[in-house]
Amino acid sequence: MSLEPFNRLVKLAARAFYDDITMKGDNQPKTGRGDNRGIAVVVLDALARLATVVSLTQLRQILHVLILFNISFLALLFRSKSGVSIHPTTSAGKYNMTKPRKNCNNSCCYLHLFHTQQKIFYRRQWVREEDLAKALKLHSKQLRRILRFFEEEKFVTRDHRKESAKGAKIFSAAVAAATGEGHQTGKEGEEKVKMHTHSYCCLDYAQIYDVVRYRIHKMKKKLKDELDSRNTVQTYVCPNCGKRYSAFDALQLISFTDDVFHCERCDGELVAESDKLAADEMGDGDDNRSRRREKLKDLLKRIEEQLNPLTTQLSRVKDLPVPDFGTLQQWEARASAAARGYGEIDPNDANKSSQVPGYGGTPMPSLGDTKVEVDLGGGVKEEAQPEGKPVKAKVLPPWMIKEGMVLTKEQRGETSVEADATQETTIDDKKQTDMMDDKSLKDEYYKAYYDAYRAKLQETQAIKQEVRVSASDDLFGTTESSHRQVGMKSKRGDDDNDDVEWEDDQPTVDTGNAGTSYKLAADLNMEAKESEEEEDDDIDWEEG
Amino acid sequence: MFFHIVLERKIQLHPRYFGPHLRDKLVAKLMKEVEGTCSGRHGFVVAITGVEDIGKGLIREGTGFVTFPVKYQCVVFRPFKGEILEAVVTMVNKMGFFAEAGPVQIFVSNHLIPDDMEYQAGDMPNYTTSDGSVKIQKDCEVRLKIMGTRVDATEIFCIGTIKDDFLGVISDPSAAS
Repeated sequence: MSLEPFNRLVKLAARAFYDDITMKGDNQPKTGRGDNRGIAVVVLDALARLATVVSLTQLRQILHVLILFNISFLALLFRSKSGVSIHPTTSAGKYNMTKPRKNCNNSCCYLHLFHTQQKIFYRRQWVREEDLAKALKLHSKQLRRILRFFEEEKFVTRDHRKESAKGAKIFSAAVAAATGEGHQTGKEGEEKVKMHTHSYCCLDYAQIYDVVRYRIHKMKKKLKDELDSRNTVQTYVCPNCGKRYSAFDALQLISFTDDVFHCERCDGELVAESDKLAADEMGDGDDNRSRRREKLKDLLKRIEEQLNPLTTQLSRVKDLPVPDFGTLQQWEARASAAARGYGEIDPNDANKSSQVPGYGGTPMPSLGDTKVEVDLGGGVKEEAQPEGKPVKAKVLPPWMIKEGMVLTKEQRGETSVEADATQETTIDDKKQTDMMDDKSLKDEYYKAYYDAYRAKLQETQAIKQEVRVSASDDLFGTTESSHRQVGMKSKRGDDDNDDVEWEDDQPTVDTGNAGTSYKLAADLNMEAKESEEEEDDDIDWEEG
Repeated sequence: MFFHIVLERKIQLHPRYFGPHLRDKLVAKLMKEVEGTCSGRHGFVVAITGVEDIGKGLIREGTGFVTFPVKYQCVVFRPFKGEILEAVVTMVNKMGFFAEAGPVQIFVSNHLIPDDMEYQAGDMPNYTTSDGSVKIQKDCEVRLKIMGTRVDATEIFCIGTIKDDFLGVISDPSAAS
């Protein structure tokens, strides 16, 4: 679950509504130098940035890189220290004996992984206001005023608590553990027990979504009501004493001397208070009313078009689960629990602790899968993995599901996760932009995948050619062709052997993809079609 | 809107009326007390159509008055929001005009009067269209729509509009044509 769409929503809303909010009071002179308009937007952006979570596809990429990096790094370590072959467990054991470093075993992999994961996953949702002021280089008083404003607007939740300096350090320790930066400062020794009030703030996404929708609705309603003249009950104001009357009080207000309403108290002439937005400049003339209507219509149209990006983002975000960070205490508890969870080797534990912030279970299992790969043999297996899948698919035609299921689950896990991420964040008209991002990521992933795969394939081709030399051509050819026919519905008898094989294999993989994805829920068809489009332009798919 | 409902009321009767025509006196007193009044809940009682039941009288302590609970049927009138009524203009003002639809008073403020009608002061203040074809002045009949009602315990007051379709002047007073 990513915060990306929600943060985008926050940014759009900030620019739409708060870009000209000045923090100076009405009495203070607004200097020519500027009254710091737009600072509210900066603050909101900063809060959103701090809470950002990298999307999952990016995470997988990073993880792959990290796994390889970690393995190679460890390999280096082991080689240099113990001079033995790179089997993590054995060398780790040896390593442990030589040097008392607790993190140089398999858990080191996990630790690295999860530290970096946490670094990526876990920014600061609850931020101390002093920290924010320092980060933004703003005066803390000014920042506090801005945050107070946002609290009233229901964008931000704040929590004030009295803490001693130690308590404040607990928070920063939790944050540091969460972000993976810095080191745990366990300050011992004497400290003065002084209770200062520390303020923390956090973006409240659920409320932001509701508030923004409400505001837009109210704005449009006001204009529409005025357009339809549904502002029925007229109010009257006395300019002298400021007393307000409604049209219902009209009976008490009539005077028999002249034909205007008079105030009950001061007998001043009442002014009809029109809340017509367009009425201000123009008088109450004849055709001015139609002009007013035109103005209102124009306003309405401009609102629609200028708020369009915001409304599309709102509709995109509508179905997503809202990120919820809980109260300050809850978040702190989670963060410190997560930090403590690192010390344990058990992947499941670490799994849970990463899950604990509330970022859903769906992404984790697939990460767990990748982790298991690391466990089984390190980088070799990892690199073998991409080839392993198509190799298996090659041996068994794709319609034999049994073994294929195991493989395609990995593939499926990835595709479904990616597809989900894509599904959640797209709508028809904005599909392209998000698809582009995911597509580019997928492209890179596929490129790497196929590079490795082709390398392996060339090896197997070489092996096959040896086999062919030994066996009879016809037999092989028939088996090949029969294999082909059995495997695929497409026609491909005429091409070169090599080319045929090549194309044979590629589509196999893709049928694997496409086939499995067709077995999956219908919404993954989009995914399958895309993968087909981008890889095989020259092959006609009867299925697709 | 008019309703025909059954209401109940406790009528106090002075002993001087005790006699053979007790019931008639009681009904007469009821009518005098109730007809023309307004309750916020039921609206204006227009007329009593019949007496359903008169309960047993209770002699009050200290005085000789007797209280009878009386159930009676009556026609009531209650205006509702969104209702369309015909009314007679009673007063024209710069801020709008007042009209009466039977017992209920309705005020139409000038921003709910169509834009092409302008106020014209004079000894007969009125609202007139630019071409003078339509005029709203005292004793005109207008059709208007109730936009809101204010209901007190004993009073109902309405705000109306003539800005919608098919609303406005029905007939001019026979004096001006």
